[in-house]
Amino acid sequence: MLRRAIALGVLALGIAVGVATFGVARDDPGYGLAGASRFGGLALLLAGWALIGAGVASWLRRPDSRFGPLLAFAGFAWFAPEWDTPGVGSALAFTLGLALASACPPLVAHAVLAYPGGRLGSRFEAGALTLAYAGGAVVLGLLPALSSDPNAETCSLCPANLLGVTEREAFADDVTRVGTYLGVVWALALALLAVRRLPRRAVRPVVAPGAVFLALVAATFAAWVDDGFLANGELERRLWFAEAAALAGVAFGVAGTWVRAHRARSDVARLVVELAQTPPPGGLRDVLAEIVGDPELVLAYPLELPARLVDVTGRAVELPGSGRRTTLVRDGRVVAVLGHAPGLLDDEQLVAEVAAAGRLALENERLQAEVRARLVDLRASRARIVAAGDAERKRLERDLHDGAQQRLVALALSLRLLRSTHPSDPALERAERELASAVEELRALAHGIFPAVLADDGLEAAVHALAEEAAVPLAVGDVPRERFEASRESAAYTVVAETVRAAKGPVAVSAGRSDGTLVLELRTPGVDDLDVVALEDRLGALDGRLAIDRGVGTTTVRAELPCAS
Amino acid sequence: MRVVIADDETLLREGLARLLDDSGFRVVGTAGTAEELLRRVELGRPDVAIVDIRMPPTKTDEGLVAAREIRRAHPSVGVLVLSHYVESHYAMRLLEEHSERSGYLLKDRISDVAVLVDALHRIDEGECVVDPTIVSRLLKRPREEGPLDELTDREVEVLALMAEGHSNEGIRKRLVLSPKTVETHVRHILSKLEIGEAPDHHRRVLAVLAYLRR
Repeated sequence: MLRRAIALGVLALGIAVGVATFGVARDDPGYGLAGASRFGGLALLLAGWALIGAGVASWLRRPDSRFGPLLAFAGFAWFAPEWDTPGVGSALAFTLGLALASACPPLVAHAVLAYPGGRLGSRFEAGALTLAYAGGAVVLGLLPALSSDPNAETCSLCPANLLGVTEREAFADDVTRVGTYLGVVWALALALLAVRRLPRRAVRPVVAPGAVFLALVAATFAAWVDDGFLANGELERRLWFAEAAALAGVAFGVAGTWVRAHRARSDVARLVVELAQTPPPGGLRDVLAEIVGDPELVLAYPLELPARLVDVTGRAVELPGSGRRTTLVRDGRVVAVLGHAPGLLDDEQLVAEVAAAGRLALENERLQAEVRARLVDLRASRARIVAAGDAERKRLERDLHDGAQQRLVALALSLRLLRSTHPSDPALERAERELASAVEELRALAHGIFPAVLADDGLEAAVHALAEEAAVPLAVGDVPRERFEASRESAAYTVVAETVRAAKGPVAVSAGRSDGTLVLELRTPGVDDLDVVALEDRLGALDGRLAIDRGVGTTTVRAELPCAS
Repeated sequence: MRVVIADDETLLREGLARLLDDSGFRVVGTAGTAEELLRRVELGRPDVAIVDIRMPPTKTDEGLVAAREIRRAHPSVGVLVLSHYVESHYAMRLLEEHSERSGYLLKDRISDVAVLVDALHRIDEGECVVDPTIVSRLLKRPREEGPLDELTDREVEVLALMAEGHSNEGIRKRLVLSPKTVETHVRHILSKLEIGEAPDHHRRVLAVLAYLRR
């Protein structure tokens, strides 16, 4: 409420000051820059009021940013050079006019460089602004005001200079000359700094006219350097008109970004409605990319435990560094993070609008992303469990071979050597026979735990080996000889082995690789208690699929395993 | 006959050395690793090297790799691979990589001196040797009806011996047949199974094994 009252007060004051200045300028056309023409007065009012209006409105929208107040002050300062004329009729206004004659350009530069957040980007900017304030407000404002009395010198009709403490005309002239030289320097420097900000799309509508204004100010100072004093000749007036237009441009640029933000918000609002009905295949990312105009836009959602950013599919994403990432915050909580082209989303207002309007859709998609990320985690953990099981079985198989079996064979050898000293001991012969069958059983056991041939030479070799021990005929068709990742080979082998075990008749197996997928096909007259769940688990852990088609007289088991590389 | 023995299990290595020594072989070196085996072969110039299929460091198929190395560096040295694996795959791999003068026996055979000694002699004479258990597994495996069912019992017997790596002469001795009869059997078998005449003994073994593995 208070803020509204202040804003209205400032606006009213601005209107009043504008009207008064307009009157002064018309009455004393020889002194100011606006002159007596109707266009001069219009330009004066348009630029000043536009700045004050845009400044006050910006302040209302973002009270935390200095941009609004700076712009409003600049608007008032724009009127000031018209006041140090005889017709102003007030000593206070006259004195203010003297002191603030060159205060407008530094204020505009400050506002433009600090747009929209209110903070300056670099020390260069801060340094150049300090120089500008010193040059504009002190060297060209305060010092001449302190040391001169126009009333006593050139302008006998002028009101009294309240600041005039001494009367040193020569000093005031020197100071003014230095000020104009300085003015060329800082105005140019600020114009260049503004130009440097132009690549940032979001601030361009404000910064571009600001840069033009500052360049015009530099030109005006250059003209004054040429004149030797702050003249208001034809050239200066023309430059002043252009400055007025540029300032109006700054104000309209500010208003333009509000319109854009509003449009973006209604885009987002429309999008939310659409999304509620039919979620697009590319998700919110595609839609946001279109709204902000960056096809490379990355939309990431923050997850905890472990803390990371994931996209809508739940996969971890990397985001670029500061300046290229924007955080969407809602009620103090990070809803999403955007990775984008540099400077694209500097308009915090727009970002806030997007976060607000898209909140439901973003929240919805964030939940989806979270569920999918958990699924990705789960799948990885399943794959790890299966791989750990395989590794363990492989280790067991090796231990049996290299431990127990080697011992038994060595023992058989010892018995054999004993036999040369006890040629016909029936107990010894029986022990040898027992040992031989123990070795055979152990071999079968080890092979059943994990077929070494699978680890040594891959799927094709292992399937052929399976054909030798199967209880039903197994016809091995085309099976790729290439090696796949161990867990995939193991899963594929398990499908073949389990189908062969459950088959009621001959089995024909073939396999092939197409488009990064290993496809396994088994045909058999029928299967009995095939452990489908175990096979699906096994394949599912690797993102694979199992399809069983129980036709009349033929059952087809088809397994698909993605195998990148 | 000079032999070198490679097996990482000391007890087995020494026992085998004693057994072969008793059977009239000269053990000119023993080794616990594939690397040492190659050195022993280099130094001892054996007629046959007896190699365990699994040796350090990875204990997977070092023996087969070593066999290939021996073939490359010393083509005249025969190799007998001892293995726990009854799958024909490993024997095929050995024969494909090291076809002449090579053999594949199951490890538990070593206590059956007669088989071991016979295998060593056959390798030394240029035959190849495939463990009878492997061949009988291949013959007995269930399969759909086909040309194999048309063979007579005697022909199956001859086929098994062919697959085990015996030459016609070896088959003749074993089955006590006339050379002509053996040749007739072999010809009949090959034509019934539609296996082309192989240019040499080893390729015949490979062809027969490949047929049985189909």
